[in-house]
Amino acid sequence: MNHPLEITNLVKKFGGLTATDNLSFVVEKGKSVGLIGPNGAGKTTIFAQVMGEHRQTSGSIKVYGKEITKLSTSARVRHGVSRTYQIPRPFGNMNILENIRVGLMPDNIWQMITGNPDLDREEELALSVGFTPGDLMKTPSELSMGDLRKLEMARTMATDPSIMLLDEVFAGLTVSEIVQIADLIQKMRKDGMTFLIVSHDLKALEPMVDSAIAINYGAMIAHGTLDEVLANEDVRASYLGGTG
Amino acid sequence: MDLRWHHFALWAAFIGGMLALPQFVSSGTLRTIIFANYLAIFAISWDILSGRTGYISFGHPFLIGIGAYTTAILTKRFDIAVEYAIPSAVLMTMVGGLILFLPALRIKGSYFALVTLAFMELIYQLVQVIRPDLTGGTRGMSGIPTLTLGARDGFYLSFSLMAAIALSMWLLMRTRLGTALSAIGMNEESVRGSGLSTTRLKLFAFLTGAFVAGLGGAFYVHYLGSIAPRALFDINFLFTILVAALIGGLSTVIGPMLGAFFLTFLLEYLRPYLPGAERYFIYGGIALLLYMYEPKGILHLFSRGLDRWRERVSS
Amino acid sequence: MAQIIIQGLLLSGLYALIAMGFTLIFSVGRVLNLAYGSYLMIGGYVYFYLTQLLGVPKIVGILMATVAGCVVGLLIYRLLVKQLKGDHVAIEISTLILAVVLQAGIVLLFGDSSKILLPIVPGVIHVGGATVTFSILAATIISWVILIGIYIFIRKTHTGRAMQAVSMDAKGAAISGIDSDRINMITWGISGTLGAVAGVFFASYTQLSPSMWVAPLIIAIAVVIVGGIGSIIGTLVVAHIIGFMEILTTAILAPEMRGVFTMLLIIGVLVIRPRGLFGREEL
Ligand SMILES: Nc1ncnc2c1ncn2[C@@H]1O[C@H](COP(=O)(O)OP(=O)(O)OP(=O)(O)O)[C@@H](O)[C@H]1O
Ligand SMILES: [Mg+2]
Repeated sequence: MNHPLEITNLVKKFGGLTATDNLSFVVEKGKSVGLIGPNGAGKTTIFAQVMGEHRQTSGSIKVYGKEITKLSTSARVRHGVSRTYQIPRPFGNMNILENIRVGLMPDNIWQMITGNPDLDREEELALSVGFTPGDLMKTPSELSMGDLRKLEMARTMATDPSIMLLDEVFAGLTVSEIVQIADLIQKMRKDGMTFLIVSHDLKALEPMVDSAIAINYGAMIAHGTLDEVLANEDVRASYLGGTG
Repeated sequence: MDLRWHHFALWAAFIGGMLALPQFVSSGTLRTIIFANYLAIFAISWDILSGRTGYISFGHPFLIGIGAYTTAILTKRFDIAVEYAIPSAVLMTMVGGLILFLPALRIKGSYFALVTLAFMELIYQLVQVIRPDLTGGTRGMSGIPTLTLGARDGFYLSFSLMAAIALSMWLLMRTRLGTALSAIGMNEESVRGSGLSTTRLKLFAFLTGAFVAGLGGAFYVHYLGSIAPRALFDINFLFTILVAALIGGLSTVIGPMLGAFFLTFLLEYLRPYLPGAERYFIYGGIALLLYMYEPKGILHLFSRGLDRWRERVSS
Repeated sequence: MAQIIIQGLLLSGLYALIAMGFTLIFSVGRVLNLAYGSYLMIGGYVYFYLTQLLGVPKIVGILMATVAGCVVGLLIYRLLVKQLKGDHVAIEISTLILAVVLQAGIVLLFGDSSKILLPIVPGVIHVGGATVTFSILAATIISWVILIGIYIFIRKTHTGRAMQAVSMDAKGAAISGIDSDRINMITWGISGTLGAVAGVFFASYTQLSPSMWVAPLIIAIAVVIVGGIGSIIGTLVVAHIIGFMEILTTAILAPEMRGVFTMLLIIGVLVIRPRGLFGREEL
């Protein structure tokens, strides 16, 4: 059975620090999995390894059965994994449509030159994450944190992923922005998208996920439904004690 | 690609106007414009390589020098016809672009800028000691065959070359490729995260930049008829190119062109008052102020002014 | 052989002094100040103007040169670096432009031609077949005195330790109540002062010319890149490697090749082990 994401015995060491500690889990197709843990637990580091931004010390990462650990970041994206960042990373001098355009481009210089941008699709993506037609020409400096997260979602969706990794999607948002993003995720879940979601806002995360994984010091300490995970003694201890 | 008829009308007006220029101005002014044309070519090529991708090169004369020296040596020492010498020079410059590209695989920002600066100083020293019988050593070479006689022909040749390069680069950079290259300068990780191979895009930018630099360098040396290492691999030369691109406006083709013309005429205008190198004092001062307070360049100032004017007209 | 060792030691001492001011700024503010070579130029010219054109005593000349260097350092920090807060590439571009502007300013005031500085301390001494001028000997000794002084200043004084703290962790230092703006100011002042002193000696070692800022800048860059961030010992060691390599290439190959090794060193280290120079990546 090939899963959208299958991580086996993943280890990442930064010098003496073990940021990912022999971690194994799968994300099944069409499911949404929450990844939780206190600050510095190693959540972002897992995303970075899946995307190839950090090379793992050892272990395997498979996307639909294919080992991707040897691929470049861009090749992994073309393979169907895509992520958003805890701190959004837009293209600062480009408007919303142009930002999305980068995500829509084929990875082929000749086609980039000869083909025209798909303006309709750009607009469709921008509207689908909740921008209004009046927003489309705005540049990132004019956008709120919520808008920036929407923009990241849109650019990520533009790469046509089969699994999306969302890092701290709800951080820094107003209540109404949280609702907007949550609606968007729910809609995409209905359409069959697979998710791995990191969030500190457990209440907002709850309706978004089918199951959850808790990690601390890079190692898995519990998995199951979010309620089960949150009821786990170790998980409670890890949150109460911070990283200590 | 978002091309409007008025874009082409503007280009046509610009090219037509420039081609008619020799009827109206002195050959002294034409010589100034010739220099502006070459400076524009160098600034455009710097912008393709550095302005867009954000890989700031402090070693652009390294590339121009390879083009200039290759064709100078081939034509002068081996009597090879320019028809072959110039393409070979461009090819060699692209090899030089490849050499600059290698560090860009691993480092960026300040460190990349420093490596390119080191490349320029390195080739400056090597050119003087390795095979001085070919390069002319410290003194350089003179008596390199020239392609044109007189300011008029020199103007036509340099302007045609510049206009052809500018127009084709302008068209190229209006495609999605231009967007992707600029995106690298804004956030390389996100470009990778959007599924694009930044290595390939950067390679393309470096090779295209080198192609233009080599073409400019080769034609320039056949215009001057001489070459000297200190004039070429020089921080002042680098400074002129960089400043032209910066104050014109990065990540555009028109900006560097505008900057080159603006600066050349500024220098020319200052010549009666400050005949020597001290002109750079004012020139650099203006550049520094502009860069600090309007980092997007004069092109941006112009278009903002135009917008305001339009608003006033329409209201 | 003895000659090479003696010349190597003398040159390296001077190079260490040249690099020190640059290293300080780089380690405290993580900023590459490409106008650093201009401090040397300004120091050299101020000294030249006062002692050789106005006939002021040499010691006063050196003191005034350091004052000028310090003031220029502070001005660059206030007017330029602070404005471009944090944008490293913009700081590099604008300090490079500034260096060319200052060079043009010197041409405006003193003309294009190079000037010879009279020996700071006249006389020569013969050691093991090598001729050593008292000037360069004095330069090296003073370099060492200054280097040791800086070392003690950074280790022992309150301000020095604050500089260390900012250099290791600017945010942490700010949390523990260190005014990093003030520390940066002080560092830029010291850097300008050191650069100007180095300039007087460097100019007496070579000559005074409006383009004299390039060579010491490249030496300083090489030392910082290769020696690592903020390490005074690293600075000393690398200054000696570069100094000796230059003397060796001059003696064995050709004087024109003396800088080739330095360039290759910069390129090699930056390309081969950039990791060590980057610090932690932001996630
Ligand atoms: N490039 C790096 N070099 C060294 N250590 C790192 C690096 N990146 C992360 N770490 C360390 O690895 C550990 C895990 O960090 P990570 O950012 O993955 O945590 P996180 O769970 O995402 O935390 P947060 O909730 O704060 O985002 C931390 O102790 C962090 O300091
Ligand atoms: Mg994180």
